[in-house]
Amino acid sequence: MVDSADLQLARRKTRDRSVALIVIGIVFLMPPMVRISLIDETFFSIPFALVYLFSVWGLLVIGSALLARPLRDSDKQNDEINGQDSRD
Amino acid sequence: MLTVNVLLFVCLGYVAILFTVAFVVDRRTRRKPIRWLQSSVIYTLSISIYCTSWTFYGAVGSAARNGLEFITIYLGPTLVFVGWWWLLRKLVRIGRAHRITSIADLISSRYGKSPSLAVLVTIIAVIAITPYIALQLQSVTNSYQVIAGGDDGTTTAFWIAAGMALFTILFGTRNLDANERHHGVVAAIALEAIIKLLALIAVGIFATFVVADGPADVFAGVTAKTIQGSGDIFGPRWVILTFLSATAVICLPRQFQVTVVENIEERHVATASWLFPLYMLGMTIFIVPIALVGQNIMPSGSNPDLYVLTLPLAQHMNELAMLAFLGGFSSATSMVIVAAIAASTMVSNHIVMPVALRLLPSSKAVSGDVRSLLLTSRRFSIAAILGLGFLYFYISGGSDALAAIGLIAFVGVAQFLPSLIGGIFWRSATRSGAITGLIIGFALWAYTLFLPSFGGHFLLSTTVIENGPLGIALLRPQALFGMGHFDPLVHAVVWSVGMNALFFIVISSLTTSDGLERLQAALFVDVYKSTTGSGSNISAEVEDSEDLFILAQRILGDIPARKLFDEMAASQGIESGLPHPTDTVVVRLERELAGSIGAASAHAMVTRIAGGQTVSITELIDIADETQQVIETSRQLEEKSAELERTAQQLRNVNLRLRTLDAQKDEFLSQVSHELRTPMTSIRSFSEILMNENDISESDRARFVGIIQDESLRLTRLLDEILDINRLEAGVSKMDLEQMDANTAVKKALDTISGMTRSAGVTVKTDLWPRELTILANDDRLRQVLINVLSNAVKYNTAPNPEILVHTSLVVDGFVHIDIIDNGGGVPPEVSTSIFDKFARGIRTSRNHGAGLGLPISLAIMRAMNGDLTLELTPQNTSFFRVSLDFAAPQNKGKS
Repeated sequence: MVDSADLQLARRKTRDRSVALIVIGIVFLMPPMVRISLIDETFFSIPFALVYLFSVWGLLVIGSALLARPLRDSDKQNDEINGQDSRD
Repeated sequence: MLTVNVLLFVCLGYVAILFTVAFVVDRRTRRKPIRWLQSSVIYTLSISIYCTSWTFYGAVGSAARNGLEFITIYLGPTLVFVGWWWLLRKLVRIGRAHRITSIADLISSRYGKSPSLAVLVTIIAVIAITPYIALQLQSVTNSYQVIAGGDDGTTTAFWIAAGMALFTILFGTRNLDANERHHGVVAAIALEAIIKLLALIAVGIFATFVVADGPADVFAGVTAKTIQGSGDIFGPRWVILTFLSATAVICLPRQFQVTVVENIEERHVATASWLFPLYMLGMTIFIVPIALVGQNIMPSGSNPDLYVLTLPLAQHMNELAMLAFLGGFSSATSMVIVAAIAASTMVSNHIVMPVALRLLPSSKAVSGDVRSLLLTSRRFSIAAILGLGFLYFYISGGSDALAAIGLIAFVGVAQFLPSLIGGIFWRSATRSGAITGLIIGFALWAYTLFLPSFGGHFLLSTTVIENGPLGIALLRPQALFGMGHFDPLVHAVVWSVGMNALFFIVISSLTTSDGLERLQAALFVDVYKSTTGSGSNISAEVEDSEDLFILAQRILGDIPARKLFDEMAASQGIESGLPHPTDTVVVRLERELAGSIGAASAHAMVTRIAGGQTVSITELIDIADETQQVIETSRQLEEKSAELERTAQQLRNVNLRLRTLDAQKDEFLSQVSHELRTPMTSIRSFSEILMNENDISESDRARFVGIIQDESLRLTRLLDEILDINRLEAGVSKMDLEQMDANTAVKKALDTISGMTRSAGVTVKTDLWPRELTILANDDRLRQVLINVLSNAVKYNTAPNPEILVHTSLVVDGFVHIDIIDNGGGVPPEVSTSIFDKFARGIRTSRNHGAGLGLPISLAIMRAMNGDLTLELTPQNTSFFRVSLDFAAPQNKGKS
């Protein structure tokens, strides 16, 4: 009643993206996937492994920054609904 | 050249600044919260105490020794904060809802406010963080010695420990805060967070761009092989280290303190979710360059753990070296302060308080000042914890690698993980499971990692470490049951955390929890559903609120206690004095106290005064099985909704019927008016003629009077009929029924209308049942019906040779039928359904007869005699009227 179906869908999407971000982080930072960085290449004379790890890390930070507000807001709506139900 | 005096002067000056910041913020916040100090940025900076001197100095050392491995220590927390929505948010919500003061409080509170569990967690936490504090002492000592020289590390370490203890006591135990928030400390460590970040970046830039000639120079000759250190870098150790660091950022008491306890607003976690990983990224981005440059230019044999400091010193950059020293000092002090605060809170709440509670007789509750006891015990705990740290440093003799010491602490606090995660996501987790898991995990940690870290100087001798106790090789601490091919750290984690989780799960599923524990389990696991966080089911048996007030005064302090009680009294509508000791008051008080002394102690104190807890099982099930409750509610709602649907349908039907009836009534009224108007008009006009005109012939006069007479009779008849039908329909007029022969009734009726049929030239034929047809009826009324139907048949018959056939019969199912069939073509099909309605359209009355009420009256009469009047169809498809009545067999005579 308070939630429209669209809003619920948007929230679910946001949460799904947050799970996807964690999965991406784990997959690319843990073996076996992380081994792809062990090539003898350099990137602007910096070893590829170092660039690789910091890039994945940086992407996680960016992803998390993009998701922070939508996630936080979806929680706020949640709280308002809960709050109405169970106010002291 | 940096002299000892300069160093001491700068250090003391820095400490003075920190103290001023903490002092001012504390003072100001007390009066009015400072907006920007309560922001998410400050919150994030306070979380950055994760980056201790282990990061500041040790990460470079680790990078120099093991290549990229140091990154795992920051990848774990990054993953945890990126996934804040799923775990941190829940922890923070629980922490706020239940006024959690420490990780020991959280775990004990979840498992039924168990004091023994609180003690166990506290002891493990204190032992586990001891090496970590030693690590900070060691790094500050080493860095001090680098600048000031001198060999007596022990003395330096002692004075550093003493200084830090004093510092922490001054900062951390200035007051007994409700909710255990330390705004001053948080502000100071936020400042330190900035200093250490700036210092490390400054040294990094210096190393990369001043000492070396940019990245190309730094990484010249560096291959993938060099950077991955020795052995397989992305192996089990990589995974285990990431897991450990992820665990540590949740389970380390100091991290729990800043992330959960000091959290002011839940939304700050959202900002920290990316800002904290970004901070760590900033802290680590120059680690590898510093390590590489250090290895290149520093003489071989110099400690890579101190490159951050020795590199600027070697280049005679004294100011930068001073900044680096302050950065390391900041990382160490901020960590030690918060860790000591967190640990002392646990010790005083979970160990000192329960003991004091037992020792202080309850009657003497007034005299004992619990507040000062708590504060004193916290001060002593801080000193003791730093003392332990110093002792570890002393016994272990200052291990070479900082990273190894930090990891011992990480594995130690990782023992909390199964109970913590299980506690907030798994309803069936029990206290027995948590205790068993913790004890086994802790024992294995001590045996496989902690004790061997002393290198044979403490409890375990070198021979035991190498050959196992009593020479049993299977029990070798670092190769339990022959699992020696693992790295000692991986080995310890697999054994301790693995067994801990295993026993936790198995014992939890084998045991059941008692009332309060089940309740707490429900409140914790479903924290998003129940926002109040109350729910300790105490039935108050307090005589008056005096005792409760004294208790609150002793713990919260006089003014806060008075404020709380005034508020509660006001909510009960009491203007002055204490509130009534209702359940609400008791539960609220317990929650407030839990914010200061932990849930288990608060519960114990309040129940002692409130006179024992009684948990009503039904009430408990109600709350605990909230999910069940939701299902039940939704089922009830569904039923209710279906019922409403049915009622609505019925109402719609009734409404429809009422509308039809209303329309019929309107029609009836308009017909009645019309029918009354016609005779009235003629009566009036003829009487006017008689009145006004004198020269009317006598014959005309007589004719007019006759007409008036006729019309009056018609009016009377009409009114009689209306009254009659009203009575019949309302069931008011009761009919006397008697046994009679249907055939006789038909004959009598035919006799009555014989004059009419004759004059209309209608031939009447009868086909009567050969034997007597006994029926129960009212003679007059039945005849009325028959005459009515017969006269209709006569009147409306338009056939050239009008004919009526009356046929009586007894049908199999015990009915007597009297059929009146004429050859006039019957009733037109379009009016056949409404023919029995009063004044129905289509049965326009003739001028000479009644108002069209004949058939409705007949039907009403038949119904009143338990019979019926229907319109039937012949095989030739013409309609005829049928009067039907029950056949009353002759033997039923007398019965009626």
